[in-house]
This record gives sequence, C-alpha cells and structure tokens, in this order.
Amino acid sequence: MSIEVRNLNKRFGDFVALDDVSVSLPSGQLTALLGPSGGGKSTLLRIIAGLDSADSGSVSIEGTEATHLPPQKRNVGFVFQHYAVFKHMTVAKNVAFGLEIRKRPKDEVVKRVDELLKLVHLSQFSHRMPSQLSGGQRQRMALARALAVEPTVLLLDEPFGALDAKVRKELRDWLRRLHDEVPVTTVFVTHDQEEAMEVADEIVVINEGRVEQVGSPDQLYDEPANDFVMSFLGEVTHLGGVSLRPHDVEVDAAPTAAGSVEGTVSRLVRIGFEVRLNVLTVDGEEVSVVLTRTHARSLGLEEGSTVFLTPADGATVIPRMVAAS
Amino acid sequence: MASVSTAVGNRSRTTTWLLRILVVGYLLMLVAWPTGLIAKNTFEDGFGGMQRALEDPDVIHALILTVKVSVIAVAINLVFGVGMSLLLVRYDFLGKRALSALIDLPLSVSPVVVGLALVLVYNPRYGWLGEGLHERGIDIVFATPGIVMATCFVVLPLIIREVVPVLEELGDDQEQAARSLGANGAQTFWRITLPGIKWAIVYGVVLSLARSLGEFGAVKIVAGRSIGNMETATLLVQREYQNFHEDVAYSVSLLLVVASVLCLIVVAILRPSEGSHADPQKENK
Ligand SMILES: Nc1ncnc2c1ncn2[C@@H]1O[C@H](COP(=O)(O)OP(=O)(O)OP(=O)(O)O)[C@@H](O)[C@H]1O
Ligand SMILES: [Mg+2]
Repeated sequence: MSIEVRNLNKRFGDFVALDDVSVSLPSGQLTALLGPSGGGKSTLLRIIAGLDSADSGSVSIEGTEATHLPPQKRNVGFVFQHYAVFKHMTVAKNVAFGLEIRKRPKDEVVKRVDELLKLVHLSQFSHRMPSQLSGGQRQRMALARALAVEPTVLLLDEPFGALDAKVRKELRDWLRRLHDEVPVTTVFVTHDQEEAMEVADEIVVINEGRVEQVGSPDQLYDEPANDFVMSFLGEVTHLGGVSLRPHDVEVDAAPTAAGSVEGTVSRLVRIGFEVRLNVLTVDGEEVSVVLTRTHARSLGLEEGSTVFLTPADGATVIPRMVAAS
Repeated sequence: MASVSTAVGNRSRTTTWLLRILVVGYLLMLVAWPTGLIAKNTFEDGFGGMQRALEDPDVIHALILTVKVSVIAVAINLVFGVGMSLLLVRYDFLGKRALSALIDLPLSVSPVVVGLALVLVYNPRYGWLGEGLHERGIDIVFATPGIVMATCFVVLPLIIREVVPVLEELGDDQEQAARSLGANGAQTFWRITLPGIKWAIVYGVVLSLARSLGEFGAVKIVAGRSIGNMETATLLVQREYQNFHEDVAYSVSLLLVVASVLCLIVVAILRPSEGSHADPQKENK
C-alpha cells in the first residue's frame, strides 16, 4: 500500500472539512478522489502533499511516516487546479525547476527536460513563456514539471477542471496512457463521475468530509454502498421504496410480473435511440424510465398510456434512504 | 491623453477642453512654474551660483550626508518592507490588522512630530533610551543614526504599500508548487516570490529614495541645532535662504529637484514595463 491515510481530521474554524478519514491508496495505480464541490477532496490531497496540515491523524507515503514532513521532503508531485505555473520562467525552466533545486548536473537536467517535454508533447514550446501556452498546454507543462523529480506519488487536483470538454477528454485519455507508460502511483481529484469512471483503477467517493465508498468503477456502479454514491455515479430514480437506475426499470403494458406498480406515462421524450419516460404511479411517485426506442414502439407507448413497472432482473437496487434524497 | 478623450467620449468637446485647461493650469501654477523658476533663478547669472555652491564645503558635506542617509534608510526600508509585506500577506497572526494600520501612521503623522518623538526617546541627556546608550558611547539623536531613523520612519509605508497588493494578486500557488517540487523556504523566496514582486520593489525603492532625499521636518528636529556636520541638503537650503545666500539655496534646491525628477523618470519607465509584465501572463482563473 503506497499512501496510508489514518483518521485524518481537519477543521476550518467551526467547519469540519475532513471527518475521521481513513483510506489506503494502492501503489502503482490511478486512483480518483470523487465527490461534490466542497466535499473535502482538495483538502485531503493537500494534506497528503504536506501543503496543509491535519488537526489529527497520520499520513504515510510508501511506508515512510510523513505526517510531520514538510512538503519538500515528501517527494510528491503536485499538479494544481489552476496550473500554478512559474510565470517568469520559460517552459523548459519550469520543468527543470525541481531538478535544479536538487542540484543535478546541467547536462542531465537538459536531457531529462527534453525527455519530459517530448512525453507531454511540448518539445517545440520549450523556449516559450507560460503565458504563450493554451490552458491544456499549461496543464501538461505542470504535469511534466511534477514528473521531473520522479515523485513517489503524483497528486493532481482537478487537473482538467479549467478546460473545455473536448480538451478535457483528450487529456484524460492521454493521462491514462501516460500512467500506463510511467506507472507512478497517481491520485487525482475530480467531481466529474464520468472522468473518474473512465480513467481510474480505483475510486474514493468523498462527501461532506467523509469517505462514502472505496472501490473499482464497476464495484461502485454495481454495488453502491448507499444512495449518495448511487446518485453520484449516475441517474437514479425511485420505485416502490428502492433506488435504481432509470434503465433498470422494466416496463410492461399488462400486469404480468408480481409486485409491479401501475402508473401513467406523463411525459415521453425521444433522444436518438432511447426514449425517456416520466411515469406517475398510482402511489403518487414520479418515476423516470429509460428504454430503447424499439422497445417503446413494441409496447405502443405514448403520453397517457397505462404501464406496469418492475425493477429489472439483476438491476442494482438499494433501499431508499429518505435523508439522502 | 488619447485614453482620456475616449473615457469621456460621450461628453461634449467643450467640457473636455475646459477640464484639460483646468488640470493643466492647476499643475502649471502649483508645480511646473514654481519649479521652473528655481531653475531660472539658479542660472540667473550663468553658472556662477551653481559653481559657488559646489565649491562650498558645507554644501558638499550636506549633499554627501543626504545621499548617505538616503541610501542607508532605503536599504533598511527595503529589507524591512519586503519582510513586513510577506508577513502581512502570507501569515496570520494576532494583531495583524492593527499592524497593517500602524504602517500607514507615517503617512498621517507630521514628520515634525516623528522627529520630536525620536528626540524624546533617544536624546543623550534625558532620553528614555538615549541616556544609557550615550554612556556606552552611542549617540542616536543629533547624530547620523537619528537622521537615518527619522528618514526610515517617514519612508516606512512606501515599499510595503507597493509590494502588498502585488503579493496578494500573485497568490501563493506558485510558492506552494515550488515547495512541492522540493524548494525550501529560502529557495522559494529567491526563485519564485522575489521575481514576482521585483518591479513593485524597484518602484517602492525609487519612491523611498525620492522621499528620503527631500525629507525636512523630521530631520530638522533630530539633527538639532548643531549646524554643519549634521546638516542635510534640505536643511542647508533653508539656512542659506534665511542667510540671504539665495544663489546657493537655489542651486542645491535645483539639484534636489533634478534628483527627484530622475526618480520620477525611472518610475515612469518602470511603470509600463511592470504592466506589460503582469498583464498577458495573468491566468484565466
Ligand atoms: N483555507 C480554508 N479556510 C476555510 N475553509 C476552507 C479552506 N479551505 C477549504 N475550506 C472549506 O473546506 C471545504 C472543503 O474544501 P475543499 O477545497 O477540500 O473542497 P473540494 O472537495 O476540493 O471542492 P471543489 O471540488 O469545489 O474543489 C469547503 O467547504 C471549503 O469551504
Ligand atoms: Mg478542490
């Protein structure tokens, strides 16, 4: 286990930012810290990096007790949400910074910077100032800068948060490939569930300063520990006292299955190959349902039709928690 | 001027012209004309006055003392000002706001009062601290250290008020990045913080220098009545003027004006370069 976080607590005044957080982040993997804004993700990451200190609890990195180590002794690469590029240095100087601090020989620095710039596809920009780069290029430069010192762990705080959707997606794929090439233990923060599901080996869901669940993307999606995790990882609807995904609601024109719930289609929208329904059940519940267009047509659905709803076989279903919704 | 006319572009032309005449006239009457007259009077009978002044050992002594005091005071203010700015922006501590308010005190208190206060504390006969120091052979007031201290007090806010906003604007992102890359506190300061605030510092130093060269009130009090060896340029101007040596007074005044104008020119040259350094590099936060 590479990063061990034990019973971390952190308050800002009266506000509890981290509430007894314990988590193990495995070596060599790409882990996502996922959660809504203000949940404490950055705080946790900054404490791991030593940029903030916890009120209590401990952090160890690769078996080294790091709780009281200053950031420069932790050998951690940190990529900031807003890049934090060194504005007065060229791209190459930015990347070389950590190596120059470590007083590596000049030719070694030059060689390593070249390699890294190649890795992040910025070779032709090495003599530019950061202000002459696009957002995505700046972020890649920040990544190269963090990688230069060969950190034992790489921490990324919403590395693509400030970029537009297309660049985000490119960089996300690129990060995954980079990680496969250079398998350094990586933790990245995101509040985008799609990003986390697509890139990460493991996801830690954090909400209101607490860890809600830790697991692989599949585990989280298929076996969410609670309503919060379930609703955070995708759409959720409620049917007869349980929470489930809209596409896991079975629709029938007649009450064939036992325990089915009767309702009327109150709204029907076609989006490409799928059809979205809002069904008002006889119990007064509003259920959203997603089904394929073909299926909808075979049932002859239209607004006002009477339908019978059941959770599909094998659907991820958890008891509904009133407080969470 | 171009930006002025666009800024008030929707006003009538006459109003714009009236405003311009008013402003230019005001500056002319208050600043340009009187200062110009000093130059005119200095060279009324050729370079004779200036030559007489520069041959007077008192004048040379005063000029050297002024430059010495200013350089020392600015150097002290530089170290202290940058340190205080960092403290005020980057650290939280009890009484921070009180301290921040205190720093503006020299702007609001009359320099004469500053001089008097220093004399009270440090004078060698009955001063609160001065007596003890005097016994150990250290004189503060009525000696160079007192003049330096008075000048330091007066220029205290000038660097801090330049550097603090720049530090705040800069944020501590870059410093944290440097720390995470292995730099210790000193390395972070020299390599990251200082380059970020260097123009603000230069600007503050130039302002402090201009202010130190021209300080009169506080220095007048702490220099005491010992004419001659503790006389700075401004004090000399006053004495010579009162003794009807107007040519010397004008000549030294002109030298002071020239020094100040040089400072202003340096600032004017720095200002745009400071702007063009900061602007395109601003990140879209
Ligand atoms: N320096 C601080 N002083 C006071 N409160 C803070 C400070 N830093 C963070 N907080 C609070 O702690 C909580 C957690 O902040 P944190 O930055 O960790 O959230 P986050 O999960 O990273 O959110 P986001 O996705 O918006 O970045 C927030 O409610 C925030 O207001
Ligand atoms: Mg954050």
